[in-house]
Amino acid sequence: MIRITVAGIVAALVLGVASLSAHDNYRIIGTVVKLAGTTLDVKQSKDGQTVSMEMTKTSRVTRDKKKVATTELKAGIHVVVDARGDTILDLDIVEVRIVPAPAKK
Amino acid sequence: MTSPTQAPAPAPPSLSMLVRTTAIALIIAGVILVTIVLPAEYGVDPTGAGRVLGLTAIASPAVVPVEAPGPADAALAPTPNGPLGIYAAAFKFDAFEIELAPYEYVEYKYRLEKDATMLYSWHATGALKHDLHGERAAGAGDGPAEQSFDKADRRQASGTLTAPFAGIHGWYWENPGAQPITIRLTSAGYYTSAVEIRSDRTRHTRTLRTIETLHKGDGK
Repeated sequence: MIRITVAGIVAALVLGVASLSAHDNYRIIGTVVKLAGTTLDVKQSKDGQTVSMEMTKTSRVTRDKKKVATTELKAGIHVVVDARGDTILDLDIVEVRIVPAPAKK
Repeated sequence: MTSPTQAPAPAPPSLSMLVRTTAIALIIAGVILVTIVLPAEYGVDPTGAGRVLGLTAIASPAVVPVEAPGPADAALAPTPNGPLGIYAAAFKFDAFEIELAPYEYVEYKYRLEKDATMLYSWHATGALKHDLHGERAAGAGDGPAEQSFDKADRRQASGTLTAPFAGIHGWYWENPGAQPITIRLTSAGYYTSAVEIRSDRTRHTRTLRTIETLHKGDGK
């Protein structure tokens, strides 16, 4: 009984502590590929790489500094995404700004 | 003659015991989730335990100063002598140019000791979001980890900076528009290293020039 309880406590502690981690700020600039559920895929302007990020309850979508609905995030529009995460593969969105298309060189 | 006695095999736990211990483990996991994980990871602190334990600060971490690589030469802290600040080595200088793509930002910072001085001029081909600031080095006294000295939209600036604390000091420049913008910075000072941080979080250490390079080839 005691051994099983201790094992349960240890497992709970390991799972709890493992989820604590530092985050870094990332800026992703590009065009929306798709928004599927809470996952937003953006193709970066600089290298064509597609980055997948998660919308959270606190994520904001704005245009001209005004909040807009997430349904505005249609494929092909230009966005600037500020996100936080441990790596570029694990990003939670802080804000998505819908912006004019960059000038072509 | 006695036969060896065998210890009886332990009885397997009963179903009710398994249910009880599983429930206990789940309750403990739930308590840890509510009191530790949610406050630390998401800033959600329904019980107030996260604030008491200082865990909510993890969800919104303080700015951690980015340390430039250590200087190859000695730290350049001035020794005051009346109106003079005397340094143990000569100043360095630097010329930096970068084109910021639409909506990108860059940080460019020099490592300065407390009271060390630099002078600078920069200009850009378009208006930028701009923040001249310092990030305190670890162990460089009490005070905020980061301090802004000039935060405004600008296209150019010239001035001098005397570091209020040891750390990295320099600029955050953000291109707010859809056109590329080129920035050119020239500086000289008693700094020991420079670091460039791009919006994709890559960091590049810059090589600074010594005043000896000014005199090469002058024939004297």
